[in-house]
Amino acid sequence: MRKVTSILAVTLYATIILLPLYLALQRLVWVTGFSPFEWIDSLNNNYISQGVIEFTVIQAIFSTVFTLLIGIPIAWTLGRYKWPFESFIRTILTMPFVIPSIIAAMGILTIVGHQGLNLRTNESTWWWTLIVSHAWFNMALVIRFCEPVLSTLDPELEEQLRLLPNGQSRFSRLRNLWLPLLTPSIIAAACMTFVFSFTSFALVRWITVGNNTLESMMADVSSSAGIKGYMESTSKIVMGASVIQFSILLFSLWITSVIQRKRQAKLPQSSPLHSQKKNSRGWLILIPAIGFALLPLISVGIGSFRIRESIDDEIRFRWGLEGWYLAFEGSYSFPPLIDAMLNSLGYAIITLFVALPLGYLLASTIHDLENKNKRMARVLDIFTMLPFALSAAMIGLGVLLGIIKLDVSSAYNFWPLPSLAHIMLTTPFVVRIILPTIRSLDDKYDENARVLGIKKFKRFFKIKLPLIKGSIIIATIFTLAMSLGEFGASFIVARNSDWTTLPLLIDSWRAKPMKDPLTSPASNAVATVLMLITMALFIFAERFRTNRDGGMF
Amino acid sequence: MNKKINRAIKKRTNELIVILLLISMSFSGCFSSEQESDQEHDFELNIATYDVYALTDEMIENFENQTGIKVTMTKLGDSGSVLDFLIQNKGNNAIDLAIGLDNTYLQIAIEQGILIEHIAENLENISQKALTPYDGPLAVPFDMGHVCLNYDSNIVDGLNMTIPTNLWNLTEEKWRGKVAIPSPVSSSPGRAFMLATIDYFSNSGNNNSSMGWEQWWSAMEENDVIITSGWSEAYETHYTGGYGEWTEGYIGDAHVTVSYCHSPGVESWFNDNWTKSATLDIPGSSFFQVEYASSVAGGNNIASSLFIEYLLSEEVNSEMPIQNSMYSVLEGQDLPEEKGYLYHSTIPQDSAQISMLEIAENMELWLQKWNNAMTSGD
Repeated sequence: MRKVTSILAVTLYATIILLPLYLALQRLVWVTGFSPFEWIDSLNNNYISQGVIEFTVIQAIFSTVFTLLIGIPIAWTLGRYKWPFESFIRTILTMPFVIPSIIAAMGILTIVGHQGLNLRTNESTWWWTLIVSHAWFNMALVIRFCEPVLSTLDPELEEQLRLLPNGQSRFSRLRNLWLPLLTPSIIAAACMTFVFSFTSFALVRWITVGNNTLESMMADVSSSAGIKGYMESTSKIVMGASVIQFSILLFSLWITSVIQRKRQAKLPQSSPLHSQKKNSRGWLILIPAIGFALLPLISVGIGSFRIRESIDDEIRFRWGLEGWYLAFEGSYSFPPLIDAMLNSLGYAIITLFVALPLGYLLASTIHDLENKNKRMARVLDIFTMLPFALSAAMIGLGVLLGIIKLDVSSAYNFWPLPSLAHIMLTTPFVVRIILPTIRSLDDKYDENARVLGIKKFKRFFKIKLPLIKGSIIIATIFTLAMSLGEFGASFIVARNSDWTTLPLLIDSWRAKPMKDPLTSPASNAVATVLMLITMALFIFAERFRTNRDGGMF
Repeated sequence: MNKKINRAIKKRTNELIVILLLISMSFSGCFSSEQESDQEHDFELNIATYDVYALTDEMIENFENQTGIKVTMTKLGDSGSVLDFLIQNKGNNAIDLAIGLDNTYLQIAIEQGILIEHIAENLENISQKALTPYDGPLAVPFDMGHVCLNYDSNIVDGLNMTIPTNLWNLTEEKWRGKVAIPSPVSSSPGRAFMLATIDYFSNSGNNNSSMGWEQWWSAMEENDVIITSGWSEAYETHYTGGYGEWTEGYIGDAHVTVSYCHSPGVESWFNDNWTKSATLDIPGSSFFQVEYASSVAGGNNIASSLFIEYLLSEEVNSEMPIQNSMYSVLEGQDLPEEKGYLYHSTIPQDSAQISMLEIAENMELWLQKWNNAMTSGD
C-alpha cells in the first residue's frame, strides 16, 4: 500500500514537472534543431543577451556573500539568546522572503528614490542597491537554516569545551565548535540564496535597469519562442539561457541536498529554553535588522495613502484614501481587490490540499529510500527541487503547449488552473520542511506500536502525526503564504485566463502608465492587503514552530 | 437457497437499472449541455489584447447589456505578444477577437492565416488617414498616432543645448547617454521607431557620408544610447520630461526618448495644461502607427463583429484620446482642446513611408541587421 502511494506521488509530481518541460523542449528543439553549441552561442551574438550570464553569476555571488554577512549575526543573536516577542521578531524577519518581489522592488525604490535617499540618479549605486535588496529578500534563509542549530545546542557542550586546551579562547571555540557545527547550515543557506538571487526577476528589472538576469532576459523574448518560421532567434536564446541556468542551479541544489542530509542532528540538543540567556546588547543587531526588514514594507503601506496632484504647474503630494477606494472598486482592466483576494485564497486552499499531502508523501518516500537505496533517494531528493532550476519561460511555454493539447476552451474556463503553477512551486518547499522532521523521528515508537498490534492508520494518526505536527503546520502556513504571494508562475499560467490573483493585480496596476496619479496608490493598497494577510499567517505559524523541527523554515 | 439467489438477482437487476438510468441521464446531460454550451458560446466573446485602456469598465458593461454577450479578456504584454499568442493558439478556436495588433504586426498575422473577414457594419465613418496602411476586410483600425522622438524642453532649452535637427545630431558627444529608446526586439514603439530610421536614412538627403540606418544605430550605441525592454521603462524611468519623475524607480538620465508625437499633449492633459515635454519633429523620423481590431479565424465572428461595430461607434471611439491616449480613427474627430491636449500635440511634418507588405517581408532581416549594428563594436 505504502509503495503504491509512493509510486503515485512520484508519478504525479513527475507529470506536473516533467510534462510541461518535455513539451517545451520538444517544441523548441523542433524549431531550432538540436544544436546546444548554437543555442549557447546565440547568447553572445544577440544584443539583448550579451553579458547576461556574467551579470547573473556575479550578482548572485555578491548577493550570497552579503546575505551571509547580514544573516549570520542576526541568526546568532536570535538563536543564542532569549528575546521578548521572539515569535513576532522571527515573523518580521521571515516576511521579506514570502513577499512578492514586485512589492519588495517598489518598497526599496521608494527608499532610494527622490522621495527618500535620492540615490537613483547615481548609476554606481544601482549595483549595491540590488545586492542589499537580495540580502533583504534572502536573509530569512540564513536565519532559518542557522538559528535552530544555534538555539538547541546543549550549553554543556560549550562549557566542556572551555575546559579543554582547544576551547579556551573565543576564537578557538569558534574554530572547533561553532564553525564545524554551522558550516553545513551556512553552505545550505548560501546555495539557496544563490539560487534565488540567480533567478531574481523583479528586483533586477527595476533596480539595475538595463542589466538582466537570464530569467528577466528570457521574459522579454519568450512570448515568441517556440514558433516555427517566426522569430526563431528567440527560441535559440531561450534554449541557450535555460540550459545554462538549469546546469548551474542543478549543481547548487545538489550541494544543498547533500549538505541538508549531513545536517541531521549529530550533536546533543537541549530545549531552547535551557540554552538561551538574555543579552541586552543583542538589540544593537536585532533593532536594525527589524528596521531593515520592515522599512520597504512600511514604505509601500505609506505609499497607498500618498496622492500626487498638480497645482499651478507644480506637483505636490497629499494624503488620501482614493487609492484604496479605487483598488476596492476596480474596473474592467483591474478587478476589485476583493475578487482578486477571493481568487488568491481559493488557489491557496487548492494548492494546500494537493501540495501538502504530495510533499509529505515525497518526503516519506525519500526517507524510506534512504534506508534501502541511497542513490535513488538522492536522485529523488534533487528531483523534488527541480522547479527551482527550471526557467519560468520554459515552464510557461510548456504549460501553454499543454493547454493547447488539451481541450483549449475548457482549459481556459477551468478556474483551478493557476493552482497548477502554485503546486509546482510550493511542493518543493513542503518536502524541504517535512523531510528533516521525518529523518529525525525515532523509528522505535512505530516499531513498538506495531508490536502492540496497532494498525497502520492508527499508528499514523496517534504516533507519527503528533510528532510531525509542528512541521506540518509550518508547511501549511508556508504553502498558503507562498501561494498567495506567488507571481512569476501565476503570471505565465493565469495570463491565459480571466482570473486575477493579488500579485497579478499589483502587477496590472503597476503596468498601467503612471500618469494617472491614483495608479501607484491603488497598487500599493493591494500590496498592503497582501502583506497583512501574509503577516497574520506567519504570526499564527510561529505559535506552532519548534526549533527542533529544523528544516528549511 | 433459490430464494436467496432470486433475491440477489433481483437486487443486481435493480442496481443495473439504476446504473443504466444514471448513465443515460448523464449522457442526456452531455447532449443537452453540449447544445447549451454551443448556445452559450454564441453569447460569449473572448478577446486577446494587451492593456488597451480604452476598454473601460463602463464600455464593456454597456456592450454586455446591449448585446447580452459576455466578454472575457486575455491580457498579454503588448502588440507583439498578442501576435505571438494568436500564432501559438492558431486553430484552437479559443479567441474570437484580437485587439491591439498594429501595422508593424498585422501583415504577419494576415500571412499566418489567423484572421478572418469581419462582418461588422456601419464603419463608413473611419477616416481615410486611418485606412492608409490597410483598408481590407481582415482588420479595422480603432486608434492611431505617430511614434516619434520627444525631448525635455526644460533641459534642452534651459541648458542652451541645440535642439537636434537631424538624427545624426544625437550621435554627438553632448547627447552621450542622454537618449533612451525601447528595443525593437521587445517593444512595439521601439520597432516602429526602428522602421522610421530605416526610411529616414533611405532618403539621400538625410544621409551623412552615404551611411545608412545601421551605421546610425552603431554610432548611437557608441554614444551610450539607453536601450530599454519596453516603452514604459524608457519613458517613465529614464526620461526627464515626463510624469516618470513622480514614480518609484525614476532615474532621469535621458532628455530624449521615443514616444508619440502627441505624448506632450497627454502630459498636459494630466497636468492641468502644463508640460515640459515637447515633440522633436525631425522630418522623416516618425512612424504612423495604427492599431487594429480583427476577427480571429475559428472564433465567434458575429460577437466579434458586433464588438468591432461598438468599438468604432462614435460614443466609444471619440473617447480614445482620453481613455487610451491615442487619436480616434473617426472622420472629424480630433484631440480635445481642453488642458492643452491639442496645443501640445504635434502632427509630424513627414512620416516614414514603409508599406505593411515591406515590413512583413523584411522585419526579421532588419531586426538581425539592427542586432548586428548594436553588437558590431564589441
